[in-house]
Amino acid sequence: MWKFLLPFAAFVGLVVLFAFGLNPKRDIHALPSPLIGKPAPLFTLTDVLDPQRTVSNGALKGQVYVLNVWGTWCVSCREEQASLMAISRQHVVPIIGLDYMDQRDKAKQWLEQLGNPYQAVAFDNDGRTAINWGVYGAPETFLVDGHGRVIYKFISPVTTEVWEHEFLPRIDAARRDAARRDGA
Amino acid sequence: MKRGARGALPLALSASASASALALALAFGFALALAFVGALACVGSAQALAATGATTANGAASAGGAVDARAAVDINGQLKDPALQSRFEHITKQLRCVVCQNESIADSNVELAGDLRRQVREMLVAGKSNDAIFGFMTDRYGEFVRFSPPLEPKTLLIWGAPFFMLLLGGFIIYRVVRQRSRMPLDDEPTPGP
Repeated sequence: MWKFLLPFAAFVGLVVLFAFGLNPKRDIHALPSPLIGKPAPLFTLTDVLDPQRTVSNGALKGQVYVLNVWGTWCVSCREEQASLMAISRQHVVPIIGLDYMDQRDKAKQWLEQLGNPYQAVAFDNDGRTAINWGVYGAPETFLVDGHGRVIYKFISPVTTEVWEHEFLPRIDAARRDAARRDGA
Repeated sequence: MKRGARGALPLALSASASASALALALAFGFALALAFVGALACVGSAQALAATGATTANGAASAGGAVDARAAVDINGQLKDPALQSRFEHITKQLRCVVCQNESIADSNVELAGDLRRQVREMLVAGKSNDAIFGFMTDRYGEFVRFSPPLEPKTLLIWGAPFFMLLLGGFIIYRVVRQRSRMPLDDEPTPGP
């Protein structure tokens, strides 16, 4: 009996392991963010377009917003930019940009050429804000709820499809949650 | 017909004997390899514990970056205090570069690894403990950034697996040896009817 069952159990174990490990839909480099459910790290940085002005996410308290990390060195951000432009025209939530490991004039040129979907773009010159957010590449996109908590992180370019399926339902849920709390 | 069947018997026996010898060798090699890994892991964790040094409350360090660490660094980019430099080397070897994922931030040339080394250096100069620095990193990047996970209830499986495998290997050896000792020897003719 054991002679049959043990190899069979081992076989089933391997099938499960390979089904998980070789799943082509699983991005092996995407890491789960420990920030989910935690307060969004606060930052106050200069505006990439105007060094005299500052951008702070503390000013958005009570609002659902999106933080999009990008840089002109990031190839897939260029492709993402078109989707972000379309998304920003829907005026669902404010989109804040975090320009990461970049140069100011290159970023300015980028926004002039490709359009500016952001309500404001913070210039993370030394990468400290990115470290606080656990950023390890670009593009990365965070969703923050009305309580100032990070509720979702998406790694790789946001497309309109991703926006509809991953972001919009969460934004709706966050707003319903906020409305219920206000009502109570 | 009868004779033929008897003649085939020693052959079948010797095949099963060599199969079990192979299993024995495999199990022994496996157990040996696992014992080696287990011993290495023990040494590693003991070192990590010893190097943790002074420990403050926990890893929930607030912004650790306010201190300017440049003054504490010599022209070669090493910390002037040799104790801090050795802790710096220990910590950066223990932290995974999340961009390249198989390199430590001590080895990686990626820009983010440089930023994280700066962060570690600044926190060391600011007097943070090793635990606080590891806590700072895992709060932001997850447990994945640590090459050797801390011994906790949820990591018990990882730390315990080598010892479990050793026991399992020993059990397999015991079973195979006992089974073999009960077998008739190949060259002894089996008593006929």
